[in-house]
Amino acid sequence: MHISDGVLSAPVIAAGWAITIIFLLVTFRLKMKESDMVEEIPKFSVMTAAFFVASLIHLPMGPTSVHPMLNGLVGIVLGPMAYIAMFVGLILQAFLFQHGGITTIGINAALVGIPAIIAFYLFKSGYDRGISEKLLGLLCGGLAIGLSALLLVIVLISTGQEFLGLAQVAAVAHLPLILIEGILTGTIVAYIAKVKPELLPVQMKK
Amino acid sequence: MSYPGIDKYSYLNSPLHSFDPRAKVVTFTALIFSFAFIPELIIAIFAVLFSIVMIFISRIPPVFVFRYLRFPALFIFTIIVVMAFTVEGRPLLDLHYISITQEGIDIGSLIFFRAIAALILAFLMLATSRFDEIIKAMYMLKVPGVMVQIITFSYRYIFVILDELHTLKRSMYARGFQLKLNMYSLSVLGNMVGMLLIKSYERGERVYRSMIARGYTGNPRLFTSFNMITKDYILSAVMLTTAVSVQLIPLLT
Repeated sequence: MHISDGVLSAPVIAAGWAITIIFLLVTFRLKMKESDMVEEIPKFSVMTAAFFVASLIHLPMGPTSVHPMLNGLVGIVLGPMAYIAMFVGLILQAFLFQHGGITTIGINAALVGIPAIIAFYLFKSGYDRGISEKLLGLLCGGLAIGLSALLLVIVLISTGQEFLGLAQVAAVAHLPLILIEGILTGTIVAYIAKVKPELLPVQMKK
Repeated sequence: MSYPGIDKYSYLNSPLHSFDPRAKVVTFTALIFSFAFIPELIIAIFAVLFSIVMIFISRIPPVFVFRYLRFPALFIFTIIVVMAFTVEGRPLLDLHYISITQEGIDIGSLIFFRAIAALILAFLMLATSRFDEIIKAMYMLKVPGVMVQIITFSYRYIFVILDELHTLKRSMYARGFQLKLNMYSLSVLGNMVGMLLIKSYERGERVYRSMIARGYTGNPRLFTSFNMITKDYILSAVMLTTAVSVQLIPLLT
């Protein structure tokens, strides 16, 4: 899910940065209203680091290995602030591990951040209807990756017709990830619900 | 556990190491953005050569650079391969169902060289400075303080949480766990990641309280200041001129 530097055209890159800056401003503004930023900064940073480390775990898959993105999980736990966490994660990823690109941080953040926020609202409304956390985690985790892959295809095709083939290859490569991320997110959410439910956006029953 | 060791050679002494961090952040960013949109192959190759010359100026051992960048470079190389097969055009090699086309290789290699040039520069920017210098430069360049602080603390806690992950993993393997791609492995791994997140959440509370106890108010305090000297202005001028000219030359010719 990292688009490298040099692939996309200038208008697409500019649009990515514009979307990301708007999302960052709006989510910051929303968070400032309900809580104290002095308290949020340390706590939020530790969680961002934790998600970053969790995404470094490599899973063996045939001859290669994949690493989970967990953007659905980040969304479920952090809510709309997930966009900021993914943005910071991508900056560190690009500069410390040289994965992804610098110019593409804006568009990459949109690709993973928007599905994360959708996963959050889906989880919340699903939980209110009484669906189990595990099933919801599975659905949201899988859906977030699926949406990211879909957005990636749209971005590649909107850059130029010659990227149609690359977009198809990228889409197929993401199919197994949807399943893996879904199962992983499902078990993680079920575990957190058992051990520390205040991490999830749910009201305790009774 | 291996840590990201990009600043391993940040103690060296070279023109790039002593470059003013503010000027470094601005000029490198300008160069990266300029190199990422080079329209012609020949200029993209020049950009890669420019970046390689910068590696030698920085005195960072080329072996270290190679070891650090080989996997990202390999990842970008797959783009050439995919493009060569998928872009329609004049076939160079016909393999019945699929064929390699000239157009595909042209677009693919243009992307590859642009990406490699940007990759090396982004690497050099971080490899020739201590992380705290970059952070200070970001404050002084008026990047919003909240953002810079989140980046700083996240960076710092990545190392702490990597250790935590290592402990969790070691205790799992000590009990005979083997990582395979099946339901059982995934659910055990899920529990481990869940524990990692819960531990981190609780650590966040502790970190916040200890920071408040030490007088944290949400505002950064800077004790050092940077000075731009003639050398910094000359280096900045050279880099910015390069950034502008790789974009201007194709327009003029």
